[in-house]
Amino acid sequence: MPWSLQDRPKGEKPSDCEVASSTDKTVTLPAGADPPLVTGNLGFHDITQLVSYHTEKRPPSAWYMAIAVSSTLLCVLLIMIAYLVWNGIGVWGNNNPVGWGWPIVNFVFWVGIGHAGTLISAILFLFRQKWRTAINRSAEAMTLFAVICALLFPTIHVGRIWVIYWTLPIPNQMEMWPQFKSPLLWDVFAVSVYFIVSLIFWYVGLIPDLATLRDRARTALRRRVTGFFALGWTGANRHWRNYEKTYLLLAALATPLVLSVHSVVSFDFAISIIPGWHTTIFPPYFVAGAIFSGFAMVMTLLILARKIYGIQNIITMDHLEKMAIIILLTGTMVGFAYITEFFIAWYSQVEYEQYAFLNRATGPYAWAYWTMMSCNLLFPQFFWIKRLRRSIPFLFITSIVVNIGMWFERFVITVISLHRDFLPSSWDYFNPTIVDVLTLIGSFGLFLTLFLVFLRYLPMVAIAEVKMVLPESDPHYHHKHESEEH
Amino acid sequence: MISLPIVDGTPSGSGMKAWRSPPHREQDPQFVETVAEEFLPGASDAPSGSNRRQFMQLLGASMAMAGLAACRRPVERIMPFVDRPEETIPGIPLQYATAMNFRGTARPLVVKSYDGRPVKIEGNNQHPNASGASGVFEQASLLQLYDPDRSKSTLRTGTTANWEDFLSLCQRLQTGVRRVAVLAAPDNSPTRARLRAQLESQFPNTLWVDYRSEGDDSELLGTQMAYGQALQVAYDFENADVIVSLDADFLGPHAKNGSLDTHSFARGRKLNGAQDRMSRLYVAESTYSVTGIMADHRRRMRSDAVSQMASQLATALGVYDGATPDAFASSIASDLQGANGNCIVVAGESQPAEVHALCALMNDALGAVGTTVTLLDTGMPVQAAQSQALPALVEEMRAGRVDVLLMLGVNPVYDAPQSLDFQGALERVSDTIHVGLHVDETARASTWHIPAAHFLESWGDGRSQDGTLTAIQPLIAPLYEDARSEIEILAVLGSGQFQRGYDLVRDSWRPILSGEDFETDWRRVLHDGYLEGTSYPSATPAASSFGGQVQGPGTGLELVLRLDPTVLDGSFANNAWCQELPDPVTKIVWDNVAVVSPKTAEDLELSCEYSKGRYYSDVVTLAANDQVIELPVWILPGHADDTVSVTLGYGRDISTTRPERDTPFWDKDDETDIYARGTLATGVGTNVSLLRDLAAHPVIPGVELTKTGRKWTIVTTQDHGILDTEARPIIRSATLDEYREDPAFALQGEVPTPGSDVKTDFQDYPELWKDRHPSQSPSFRDSDYWQNQWGMVIDLNSCTGCNACIVACQAENNIQVVGKKEVGNGRELHWLRVDRYFVTEGGEELDADPMIAVQPMPCQHCENAPCESVCPVAATVHSPDGTNQMIYNRCIGTRYCANNCPYKVRRYNYYNWSKTIPETVQMAQNPNVSIRFRGVMEKCSFCIQRIRGAQKRAGLEKRALQRDEVASACQQACPAEAITFGDLNDEQSQVSQAMRNARSYKLLAELNIKPRVSYLARVSNPNNALESAGQT
Repeated sequence: MPWSLQDRPKGEKPSDCEVASSTDKTVTLPAGADPPLVTGNLGFHDITQLVSYHTEKRPPSAWYMAIAVSSTLLCVLLIMIAYLVWNGIGVWGNNNPVGWGWPIVNFVFWVGIGHAGTLISAILFLFRQKWRTAINRSAEAMTLFAVICALLFPTIHVGRIWVIYWTLPIPNQMEMWPQFKSPLLWDVFAVSVYFIVSLIFWYVGLIPDLATLRDRARTALRRRVTGFFALGWTGANRHWRNYEKTYLLLAALATPLVLSVHSVVSFDFAISIIPGWHTTIFPPYFVAGAIFSGFAMVMTLLILARKIYGIQNIITMDHLEKMAIIILLTGTMVGFAYITEFFIAWYSQVEYEQYAFLNRATGPYAWAYWTMMSCNLLFPQFFWIKRLRRSIPFLFITSIVVNIGMWFERFVITVISLHRDFLPSSWDYFNPTIVDVLTLIGSFGLFLTLFLVFLRYLPMVAIAEVKMVLPESDPHYHHKHESEEH
Repeated sequence: MISLPIVDGTPSGSGMKAWRSPPHREQDPQFVETVAEEFLPGASDAPSGSNRRQFMQLLGASMAMAGLAACRRPVERIMPFVDRPEETIPGIPLQYATAMNFRGTARPLVVKSYDGRPVKIEGNNQHPNASGASGVFEQASLLQLYDPDRSKSTLRTGTTANWEDFLSLCQRLQTGVRRVAVLAAPDNSPTRARLRAQLESQFPNTLWVDYRSEGDDSELLGTQMAYGQALQVAYDFENADVIVSLDADFLGPHAKNGSLDTHSFARGRKLNGAQDRMSRLYVAESTYSVTGIMADHRRRMRSDAVSQMASQLATALGVYDGATPDAFASSIASDLQGANGNCIVVAGESQPAEVHALCALMNDALGAVGTTVTLLDTGMPVQAAQSQALPALVEEMRAGRVDVLLMLGVNPVYDAPQSLDFQGALERVSDTIHVGLHVDETARASTWHIPAAHFLESWGDGRSQDGTLTAIQPLIAPLYEDARSEIEILAVLGSGQFQRGYDLVRDSWRPILSGEDFETDWRRVLHDGYLEGTSYPSATPAASSFGGQVQGPGTGLELVLRLDPTVLDGSFANNAWCQELPDPVTKIVWDNVAVVSPKTAEDLELSCEYSKGRYYSDVVTLAANDQVIELPVWILPGHADDTVSVTLGYGRDISTTRPERDTPFWDKDDETDIYARGTLATGVGTNVSLLRDLAAHPVIPGVELTKTGRKWTIVTTQDHGILDTEARPIIRSATLDEYREDPAFALQGEVPTPGSDVKTDFQDYPELWKDRHPSQSPSFRDSDYWQNQWGMVIDLNSCTGCNACIVACQAENNIQVVGKKEVGNGRELHWLRVDRYFVTEGGEELDADPMIAVQPMPCQHCENAPCESVCPVAATVHSPDGTNQMIYNRCIGTRYCANNCPYKVRRYNYYNWSKTIPETVQMAQNPNVSIRFRGVMEKCSFCIQRIRGAQKRAGLEKRALQRDEVASACQQACPAEAITFGDLNDEQSQVSQAMRNARSYKLLAELNIKPRVSYLARVSNPNNALESAGQT
């Protein structure tokens, strides 16, 4: 059993339902059926119990250690931002040819990570990929927190943060509007719309589970809070009908956003005229990269969470393997894009373009380029081997390697292209400062703190949705398989 | 406040009595008082009685104060003008003609002053001996005036004294002084000559030594040697066909007549039509100089081998019996002989007098004297060379035979040869008086220090290079109470009485202006800045002869000392603009280095590694004449082997009383403020003058160079770059023959763009932005500004890379200085940079003899500006008159525009640099240009404030803007006339004509950004005879 009665807080009697759920039930599967998505013969109540329980009991000591570290890092971030705003952008390494340094690298990195959640929830939902149910909740939460981190960077990277609201179309006495031709403005809209839609989508998915928490609540306060957010959910048929329609519509709305937001982010580069940026391949290449890094981040987090919280039966090895396959696919796609860029540079016969790519591979930042190439293109190729796809340590290492590689991809695109462009006289080198480094590390603090708070207070798996993919929740399950046999 | 009596308003007499209220009627005392004071005291009634006199006194006093305030507004008391001083309108600048003494010659200037505050210096274009251009040092001298570290009070043995103390000293000295000595920077001022005579008559034994930091004036000694009299040589480079420079950097910013010579040299190479003539320049030199950049044939050789070259040349020309000429020398000789006297052979300052004498001989023999070479008789007596006079003076001092030593504008403790032990000698003199702008090395070693008044604060005079008498008038009262001009101090010492500089100068000019009405003539001189027809007579000396012997090249490593092209001899070392000005060739800022060739570096295992945006150079010790100094090395391709070049003017130690800025650890103001820790010059670079021998020769043979094993970080504004001009046609050039064949050679192979002159298959493709381009919108067309479309043309064939434009731009546009560390971080703010590229034939490897090409790079004001379309808040937009404008108030600082600029000309305020500028430096800021806050982008604006100013003026005068009325700051300063700016809508404007020049091309035109700046391709004029012989 993944959870046990010993997990119960001391001095508390086991409830009736807990005792009842601990009894084994066996659903016999017909031969030739798909392997079950939830293993361990869990029933409806087991799943409720397994997921909800973690929001109710004292968190494991690992959680306390993690939040201590992450909130320290969050403080570092806040100190770095205060230092930055007091002194100016000069505390970073940005200079004249390299106007955008780490903050923009981090922005694109976090936006990319923020892709997996909505992709898993929306696109895989529309494609009826039922295995998504085990991971969509935490992936969506991760998306939101990653986008919060992402939104932070363009905000603090402007020189005069106190007038950043000028990028928003707010009517004013100057009759001055933002400049709608600027991709940065498109970013403002794309990322904020993506954030809002993802938030609504996530919240709508949470409603039935919040109602579950409300019903299980033992204190008045908890009942009040969860009840408020559960919006009076009773599980009535009409509720379910409206809920499922809303969810479907939101999925349809979020799907184009998954593709658009990173396409728009890629326009920041593609719209410009700098060699290495001015590339039409960027939108699909960025989207593939985003999914790639997003899945890697989901994998990193879930490998730890499923272990610590003992939900290996819900987030199974099969789930991880499926994610590994997506990482292999998208990693190969970005690798293909890297090579295509080189081909086009050669094919264009434009000196500036050719030099930009030659400089990536052989210039002063060649180490960054080759880090990117090996992490993103070569490393995921090991996933062709099934044994490695199903090896937890290997998956964990790869997921981290991929995210390192993807951070370097953004570094390669942003910094290497800028540091040597058209006129050799203005070429220079970019050196990050300690503030750059601590701000990046601090942003992980923000991300992890938010994620840990999520793990503590909200069901990390979509209880209702997982129940829907249990064999016994399908009224036609036996009938379907029987008819197939004929 | 004078209280004026209130006339009692109670009507007298009887009649109907009106009242307002019962208390009024009852004559309540309180009420009566209130009624009486209905108006403020004195407001309702005229003053009467004796108080009228007081009132008139007040009126008179305010008039007098208004007059005073015209000189300089009081700093702390606010005292508005009661009457507007004559001729001043607040906000409308006034221009005054004045002059600056630069290395002994007056450079005529026109200075712009806002409300009594000089803010910009230009050349005087009316002056017969000036081009209207101005060099680096004229521009930068403005910041000298406002230097926060200028000495502020009289010092007696290091403690604060006052002017009266010094006055009483001078009165005491009038009797009983055995010997007075004067050590003064060269100056050809008539007033100074008069006061010198006065001093010499008062103290018959006076010893006067002219002191130049760089040592002997070998040109003067050379003419003395050749003609038997000291003559000044003036060259007409414009009309010369063949010019040979023997280690002469006559175009350099530090050259004595740099601006004038650059002007005439560039005129001799202007190519407007295919058949225009162009001069040919041969350069033999040791280091790569600005003149070397312009050479058609450049040969690098040790400085002491140049004399050998001179000897060969003179032999080939048959005026000397010296070394057998090699192929190079004979080709030059035959080229010179074919020039029909329109040729110049000029020797450099680091060459000995013998080489200058040989040049005189050659110019004479070639028939150049009288055509392109003019000998001017300055009327100065033959003087002992400094190399003899200075040691003699020091000997006298040490022997205790000098009682008073006056040092005017010199700093011998810093730059006299160490072997002289000047400081030791100084201690033997009972009264040593130092006059200078700073409390410097000599000031601290002297018993008296008097703060010198800057030339913008004092009256004076001088003579321009051709001798034209030129007036120096102040624009501002001395910023510090004790500051006195050199002539005032000379007069005080000579007479014991203080006389104002104004009177001193006028007294000198009374015999000069011998016309009937002195005052009218004098006002005329002040208005024009000069007196017509007072140039030196040209000398027609007897035929030159030279019996001396030219020394052959030495062995071992030689060291050559030169004036620095950015800080001169150190007098500009505390000037932030000069310190941050990149060296024209090495592009190094805030340092001096020992420059060696790649081969010498290899031989001596010296390295200068580039890593992550900075250079890490080996620190070496240089030992000569029992002195050792340490310097970082710099490896310069094109530098001669076995020779080390260093520049003077670094390693200064200037005192200041300014407190240090100290901020808490979380506030970086003290790190980013260049003025935060003491004086700017202190601790920057190394003093190389210590190495010189007693005679202070600029070339030191047999110097020992040893590696210390330590490294020093060197910061440049530009990496070492080689340019493959095939792959990146940034700088386009051809030979004169190629140019004549195809004047439009620059457009060969140009990638076609829509609308360009190059016909292509794509010609008829629709242009996305053509119809909807903002410039076509009604709001643009309806604007008055639409009438003018501004553009710029930069002639790469004229530009020498002298940097004058950079400093002019900095002065005009309030560009802040960021310091060595931040330049190293790539955050310098110069709006205009001068790109320097090494151009080699192969393109790949840096060989030993690369050409250097320079290219000034302002904002190109693209019509399809890539910066504009990416700004999210529309902070950079196009004006109806075609300039790309930066709206500082709107900028939020995303830096996207800078990223998307293909020329990388946008500059970002990474810190709040304008916050920490000292109060006096704030006075140097141009009031017409916004000071930029941190977090905003800035860039070249085509001097939009000048354009709008001219338009406003034209509007007030109800006339159209005249042709070429507006000049940008860089254009106005450029001595080579390389920059043309103006209205492209006017077919006849200079810029339109230049734009039609066949050599015109636009940089990165293939990006279809339509830059408004055109470059005129460079043309070289090689000697085909040499080319075919395989010589370069």
